[in-house]
Amino acid sequence: MVLRFPLGPITVALNPATLGASLGISLLLLALALWLRREIPGDPEAPPSRRLALLIALVDFVENQILSGTSEKLRRSLFPLIATLLLFILACNLSAILPIPGMVAPTQDLNVTLGLALLVYLLTHVYGMRTKGVFRHIKSYLEPIPVMLPMNLVGDMGRTLSHGFRLFGNILGGAIMGAVAIPVLTDLLLRFLGPILATLALPVLGTVASLVLNAFFGVFAGTIQALVFTLLAAAYIQTASE
Amino acid sequence: MGPEFVQALKYLAAGLCMGLGALGPALGEGYIGGKAMEGMARQPEMANTLLRNMIIADAIAETTGIYSLLVAIMILFVV
Repeated sequence: MVLRFPLGPITVALNPATLGASLGISLLLLALALWLRREIPGDPEAPPSRRLALLIALVDFVENQILSGTSEKLRRSLFPLIATLLLFILACNLSAILPIPGMVAPTQDLNVTLGLALLVYLLTHVYGMRTKGVFRHIKSYLEPIPVMLPMNLVGDMGRTLSHGFRLFGNILGGAIMGAVAIPVLTDLLLRFLGPILATLALPVLGTVASLVLNAFFGVFAGTIQALVFTLLAAAYIQTASE
Repeated sequence: MGPEFVQALKYLAAGLCMGLGALGPALGEGYIGGKAMEGMARQPEMANTLLRNMIIADAIAETTGIYSLLVAIMILFVV
């Protein structure tokens, strides 16, 4: 269900499911951050508690696995953005397996993923201009020869589009597989086992099928795609600021 | 050439699009994975870096497969 209302010459469409889910996930992440922050001791020599160890592991993972290729200075300024992107996309992808009626993963909406990709694209320009200067950043589009300008621009566009489409397509594909599995299974069982055996076998096989599909498309693919999105975002910003 | 014929061609087109579109990424990802395994076997201390780069390369190789998925979905539900 999509709400539409006219705003001057254009029509604005809002998807309440996506908006609600992403707002809820943002609030949850905010609560998690505040909860973890209370654990940071005033004395740096104090032995870490269990919650602090979780926080340390998270920071260590982002710094040493995702941002390992960047320079020390860039790593410090990129860390908040990349960690936020990773946690937000991961929580969005994993929310698809929650058994809440009407719950869809926000990353299943092209507007969310393309918005995040456009944010990263804008930030590549911001970081490029900040580290290289405005003139040298614009000049980098004329390299190696000025004739390459249209090629570079089209390459930028394709990169940003595929950045957004990749996450969207993966999560949507998983959701379609999950939605199609039970009807297809019911049909197959009815056709090959007959109605009596099928009603007996369907609860067992249906549970197994949805467990396997949720584990693979929800947890595994969701985690990998969140990782890939943030790794690529870090790589794009890093190449622009070199 | 009734609407049923068009509908049948749509299903055929979506199936072909997905099947042929998945072929390239599958070959590419297999090649990337195999080469990464080779590298990891030769230099186990590099395994973490190799795994990270392998996942990025996999995701990029997968992009064309995702495009064909989107085209198949568009053929089925939008056009």
